[in-house]
Amino acid sequence: MQAARIAPSMGRQLLRLGSGSSRSSALLGQPRPGLSWRPYASGAAQESKSFAVGMFKGQLTTDQVFPYPSVLNEDQTQFLKELVGPVSRFFEEVNDPAKNDMLEQVEETTMQGLKELGAFGLQVPSELGGVGLCNTQYARLVEIVGMHDLGLAIVLGAHQSIGFKGILLFGTKAQKEKYLPKLASGETIAAFCLTEPSSGSDAASIRTSAVPSPCGRYYTLSGSKIWISNGGLADIFTVFAKTPVKDTATGAMKEKITAFVVERSFGGVTNGPPEKKMGIKASNTAEVHFDGVQVPSENILGEVGGGFKVAMHILNNGRFGMAAAMAGTMKGIIAKAVDHAANRTQFGEKIHNFGMIQEKLARMAMLQYVTESMAYMVSANMDQGSTDFQIEAAISKIFGSEAAWKVTDDCIQIMGGMGFMKEPGVERVLRDLRIFRIFEGTNDILRLFVALQGCMDKGKELSGLGNALKNPFGNASLLLGEASKQLRRRAGLGSGLSLSGTIHQELSRSGELAVQALEQFAAVVETKLIKHKKEIVNEQFLLQRLADSAIDLYAMVVVLSRASRALSEGHPTAQHEKMLCDSWCTEAAARIRENMAALQSDPQQQELFRNFKSISKALVERGGVVTSNPLGF
Amino acid sequence: MSWAQAILLARGLSRGWGGICSTALTGAPFSQVTPQAPRGLHCSTAAHQPDSPLVPRPPEPQRGLVKALAPHEELFRQAPDGVRDKASFVQAVQNFTQYNVHKRGHVDFIYLALRKMREYGVERDLAIYNLLLDIFPKEVFRPRNIFHSIFLHYPRQQECGIAVLEQMENHGVMPNKETEFLLTQIFGRKSYPMLKFVRMKLWFTRFKNINPFPVPRDLPQDPVDLARLALRHMEPDLSARVTVYQMPLSKDSTDATDPTEPHIIGIQSPDQQAALAHHDPARPIFIEGPFSLWLRDKCVYYHILRADLLPPEEREVEEIPEEWNLYYPMQLDLAYGRSSWDDYEFNIDEVEEGPVFAICMAGAHDQATLAKWIQGLQETNPTLARIPVVFRLSASSGELLASSSGLEEPPLTPPEGREEEENNQQRQQQSQS
Repeated sequence: MQAARIAPSMGRQLLRLGSGSSRSSALLGQPRPGLSWRPYASGAAQESKSFAVGMFKGQLTTDQVFPYPSVLNEDQTQFLKELVGPVSRFFEEVNDPAKNDMLEQVEETTMQGLKELGAFGLQVPSELGGVGLCNTQYARLVEIVGMHDLGLAIVLGAHQSIGFKGILLFGTKAQKEKYLPKLASGETIAAFCLTEPSSGSDAASIRTSAVPSPCGRYYTLSGSKIWISNGGLADIFTVFAKTPVKDTATGAMKEKITAFVVERSFGGVTNGPPEKKMGIKASNTAEVHFDGVQVPSENILGEVGGGFKVAMHILNNGRFGMAAAMAGTMKGIIAKAVDHAANRTQFGEKIHNFGMIQEKLARMAMLQYVTESMAYMVSANMDQGSTDFQIEAAISKIFGSEAAWKVTDDCIQIMGGMGFMKEPGVERVLRDLRIFRIFEGTNDILRLFVALQGCMDKGKELSGLGNALKNPFGNASLLLGEASKQLRRRAGLGSGLSLSGTIHQELSRSGELAVQALEQFAAVVETKLIKHKKEIVNEQFLLQRLADSAIDLYAMVVVLSRASRALSEGHPTAQHEKMLCDSWCTEAAARIRENMAALQSDPQQQELFRNFKSISKALVERGGVVTSNPLGF
Repeated sequence: MSWAQAILLARGLSRGWGGICSTALTGAPFSQVTPQAPRGLHCSTAAHQPDSPLVPRPPEPQRGLVKALAPHEELFRQAPDGVRDKASFVQAVQNFTQYNVHKRGHVDFIYLALRKMREYGVERDLAIYNLLLDIFPKEVFRPRNIFHSIFLHYPRQQECGIAVLEQMENHGVMPNKETEFLLTQIFGRKSYPMLKFVRMKLWFTRFKNINPFPVPRDLPQDPVDLARLALRHMEPDLSARVTVYQMPLSKDSTDATDPTEPHIIGIQSPDQQAALAHHDPARPIFIEGPFSLWLRDKCVYYHILRADLLPPEEREVEEIPEEWNLYYPMQLDLAYGRSSWDDYEFNIDEVEEGPVFAICMAGAHDQATLAKWIQGLQETNPTLARIPVVFRLSASSGELLASSSGLEEPPLTPPEGREEEENNQQRQQQSQS
């Protein structure tokens, strides 16, 4: 059934995959990532439940977003409540982020305490010695970590969010039983080794190689990885290396990436000194060298040559955690800003009475609200078993990291000179935060992902239309539907989409804004796809704007959903949430309208892009600023 | 002297009769003679009424024929010292109007003048056309009642007016307000020339820029500039570079002792350069030509440097590796064209005939000259040194005058028959509109 619904092109992938992943994860109660895999994002276009996929097509796919999902059952909620208290207390009483930052490592007592809490195996099933949390529960705890100490969050994240996530997702039963118990208890630490000097996002330029032995029992791994979080502490490494793979179709040997689980005890694994960094100093970042390491073939993660997929899945599955951590960070920062604003007196008045401070605080609250809503929406979708959350996860990472930066920056602004000092601890957060816009796919690259993945799904729909046109009588209903849609759009009638009924009526105005924005957005996506076709991949000025609007749009829907739930369930903060939601929707809709109008019909937009191109070209040619000093020397 | 004049007169006569016969044959309802009477009538209603009965009637048409036709030719022949320019043309027209106050035979004169315009080089001059229209007597041919305007009123005159406008159209001359004013004065608003005028006004503006690759009206005389223009005209890539490999040596300096210095001008786009760089040196490339290219009424010849298309099994498909970018798709899997007959894969550089690497225009079409071009090309395309070049020069290939006009002077202005030139001009016009 599942296979039948998948686009035919995926069929082969699925077949190849079937044998590889069938042995896994019944044990975990987690959705099997292997099924219905397609490049970069899963789920076939036709029946995608993802809102983000739908919005590129001009559809309101509300299955995943309305009502705001709550996936935890009684027991899980109870369990989580029991965990939140001790973890919060631990971070307030035991951990000292300033000291970790100064020492450039996590204090031993803290590490020990975390291990006892089980913080190193939050998502490892309880049979294997972990806490066995689902994604939503995990997000809630990560939020607490993010609120207090981002350096420590990296240590934990690099360990379990990416470090051994590969074993969780793709490991065989034997691999899981061998490694997970020790990793869950924190006895061994894991690290994720992908980045190389020559390879950031470019998987094809990975130089680390793994050569199979003639007997086929082990692989000899050689190469260097850089900027590996936990690189100096870890005993278990998820390493990506090129292996020669025989192409089944042509019989030619090809270099493909394979993921390995490498133990430090195999010998030949060395690491460089800890790197000096701007932020997240508490975490250990180091080069890791593999020099003729003999890795047994049973330590291959997934299948031989399937490392690309493994890497992508690990990264996709880890992103929601970052958004959750950022939501926590913002919460902590906002508390500091409010505390200052409420107590600082200038001109005989508390500064929170000044409009400029008020606007800053309000915006901070909005950004936090949106990020939090996104993080739990995505984690809940993943827990629901959705395989189609990649765009949303990327959006939450982009939005979260940028929102947190803005909030922390504004907090320092509110605090004035005080914020600049080390003592309140805000500057450390700002330093720590910076990396979140860079690692695990820089926000720029993720924006391209958001825009291109969305366009790809929309493009498939258009291709379908193109094929339908070749046989107009056989596809009359499809063509008539499309024709009526186009007619409505031309006539300015709108697409007939509406959120009324799905959202609380007090939010109907914001709902209308969201629907309008969606229509504008979808219209532009369609025009641009038809205009550029495949070449849209190279139109990065355009893609960036599409991604920005997609992010705004998704954010609108997410807060609409959450505020609707608050209103209909009569939460005490419902009216406050309504204000946050309405304010966000008003501003976001205006941004989308402006962006889309410019892309659609502003002749100056093209000129602007050309100017950007030429200016940057000139800078590169001159090796810096082109203009001379106004003084002339 | 006198018999020479007599021959001329006789010739004019026969021409006049020919004209009459032809109009009669082509189905025009009135021949030349009959409209004379009504015109006379109209004239008589005007200023000349008292004179008309005094003039002896019968000899008039005869004298008119003999005298009116002969001076027309003469008007154009009597240009001082044979200079044929706008001034002398205007002079001729003015002579006619001065000489013939009654504008007798003005239709013939206008037809004649239209034919002569090209000789005087004024065929694109709007003022001249207006001047010709001005010859028509005003108010006389305007329809006075509904029957006039229903039936062709003064058909010969109207046809003549249309002929003027048509020649304007053929030369792409846009009529102006003055033309309109003249036409309303002469034929009135409800007349065929006016209809023609209105249509010209409408369509000229719409078709003015219909040719996306316009050829300038006045082509450069210098063969180097002309070649530059022609190459740019052929090469679709705007970033292509025109290189002058050899300037023509003027005849005076070498004095025909060294005639082997013709101009060589080539064009190559960056894409072509890249394609040539990737060309397998084991496969020969060919110089082919000369091929002709018409720029308005000039024919130029060019050669191309091309290779055969690789057999399909050896074609390397440059594909984006499937697993390249960890984070986002580098290639969209969009297999759609807007309709089944649109071919978006078509690439002007990779045609079925094989890739073209460069184009050149040279003053001579022999192997030695073209070898110099290849030498010049090697500076920017070092791989060319390793690729065997085969000359496939066809001698005939529609070259009009290469043999007769010598080597240095390529047949830029082929002295072909007038008709042929006219045909060509018409073809150009058609392709432009």
